[in-house]
Amino acid sequence: MSGLALDGVVVRRGGFALGPVGLSVAPGTATALLGPSGAGKTTLLRAVAGFLPLDAGSIRLDDRRVDGLPPERRRFGFVPPNLGLFPHRRVRQNVAYPLAIAGRPDAAERTRHWIERFGLARLADRYPAELSTGERQRVAMARALAAEPAALLWDEPLAALDVEGRDTLLQLLQELLDTVRLPLVLVTHDPSTAAALAAEYVVLNAGRVRFAGDPRALAAAPLDRFLARFLGYDNLYSPADLATVGARPIGRTLLAAAGPGGVAVPPSALTWRPGPTGGCAVAAVRATPAGWVVALQDGPLVFRVRVDGPVPGVRVGDPVALELDAAALRPLDGPVEAT
Amino acid sequence: MSAVDAHGAPRRRIRFGPIVAGALSASLVALFVLPLVALFGDAGFSGLVAAAGNRTFQTTVVYTLFASAIAVGLGVLTGVPLGYVLARYRFRGRAVLESVVLVPVVIPHLVVGLSLLLLLEPNAPLGRFVARAGIPVFDATAGVVLVMLYVGASYVVLSSETAFRAVDPQLVEAARSLGATPTEAFLSVTLPSAGRAIVTGALLMWARGVSEVGGFLVLAYAVYPSFPWPGPITNTSSVFIFNYYGIDPSAAIGFAAILVLVSLVIFLGVRLLDRTGLAWSRGGWFP
Repeated sequence: MSGLALDGVVVRRGGFALGPVGLSVAPGTATALLGPSGAGKTTLLRAVAGFLPLDAGSIRLDDRRVDGLPPERRRFGFVPPNLGLFPHRRVRQNVAYPLAIAGRPDAAERTRHWIERFGLARLADRYPAELSTGERQRVAMARALAAEPAALLWDEPLAALDVEGRDTLLQLLQELLDTVRLPLVLVTHDPSTAAALAAEYVVLNAGRVRFAGDPRALAAAPLDRFLARFLGYDNLYSPADLATVGARPIGRTLLAAAGPGGVAVPPSALTWRPGPTGGCAVAAVRATPAGWVVALQDGPLVFRVRVDGPVPGVRVGDPVALELDAAALRPLDGPVEAT
Repeated sequence: MSAVDAHGAPRRRIRFGPIVAGALSASLVALFVLPLVALFGDAGFSGLVAAAGNRTFQTTVVYTLFASAIAVGLGVLTGVPLGYVLARYRFRGRAVLESVVLVPVVIPHLVVGLSLLLLLEPNAPLGRFVARAGIPVFDATAGVVLVMLYVGASYVVLSSETAFRAVDPQLVEAARSLGATPTEAFLSVTLPSAGRAIVTGALLMWARGVSEVGGFLVLAYAVYPSFPWPGPITNTSSVFIFNYYGIDPSAAIGFAAILVLVSLVIFLGVRLLDRTGLAWSRGGWFP
């Protein structure tokens, strides 16, 4: 099959073991590698690009086995987290680099094409240090594509961008995926980047695949703390948090639903309203960029809820009634031991 | 109490940090400059002209530049790879190797000459081999270059090691992914990124070689024509000045002042070249 296929990939480095990881990415589609820091995302990407040897498994690109090849012969457009732009070369020289290395006679023409495609014409004579973050990201993308890769590997392609800059680049990336028809593997921490680009998610934790597949199946998949946070669940309780809550009705509901790693309370599982019931009260009211967040205290437990509207409508100390939908609570798997 | 003066204007706060830093820096600059002022003052204009017109001295300057150019070339050729190895590889004995690189910096100059003499004298194993190969070392250019290499190459190693350490490995990985072989990535990314520091190291090495006396006194007091120096018989400038100091101190001062001027011109020239941009470190060189 054309596209990128990983089969049983295992990478061991010192005390860290990654895998086995299997995934396949069809041309024109994207797979997002997700996971907490240290999960092995970047290790996997660097192993695919050829910078770390495999301990087991294979990597195929358009039906060609590439895991025995040096990086320069694998034909991956690899963009490292800091973009890897050459500081001593102008934008034009950066974009031209892969074409010059390959000794392409049409290097100048191809360079011009990619510079214009990414709207870099007026920046072509600048050095990377003279560019904004978004401009630097466009140069890195133009350069990766100028190499005419067979697949793209991008480590945090939209990191350190403001919301507006990210949306612009996301749109550009989506258009590109449609036109260049290459398989893309991206590492990201950002749920919205993953959601906008990727048809498949691979979630890693401590080197193991915790979830792989259609992101729509993620909500129903077994959760650990990372996945629960990734889904936007603010209220997670570890077994230690739940140790002293058995005396209260809400605590008992949580304990009944908890798994080895504790329990997550999705927003849909929690309802509350102002009113003097059950000894629960407002502990804090905070403004965040996403709106008001109200902390509700029930015994030793604190529940954070988001409140829409210009003012929160409650004050610290106000009594509230809190209810949990036991059926909507999600048990959490235990912590994954690094192997 | 408000921070305004009698007229109601904001009072300017005296900042002591820059004053202290300025005073300390100025005292060191004075230490560097004042002896030169004394040197040039003592030589006088006529003394400088006379020294510059001395044919024998001119030959020593040309020879010193000639020998130091060879030494710096060899120093860069061998020191840059060693700096790269120390910066990029972890291996047993690396700390020992780093200390070995520092030895020439601390060893007294006369000892350098003596050690090389013991190593290369015709009865020593290596000396026998060198003699059989027909390479004259004593009172010859090979000896001068060896001493310069010994006392100065550490600066090239140390500055290139620091520079290579500072090159982001992600740049090299990006280059490899874009189709560059390890050698191409080194030449097009790593080396230009470290270029400035290598030039500085080479300049330090050159300066160290030109200023050397002790090693030459033992190994190459006079320099007879031998490959690649076609002649005439000469000395390095430093030895020539050292000699003259015992014969005619005022003439020696004039020669010393001229040597300082030549060195300053070379320093300024390299710095200027660096500022206008060395073509290869600006990305126009390779590919």
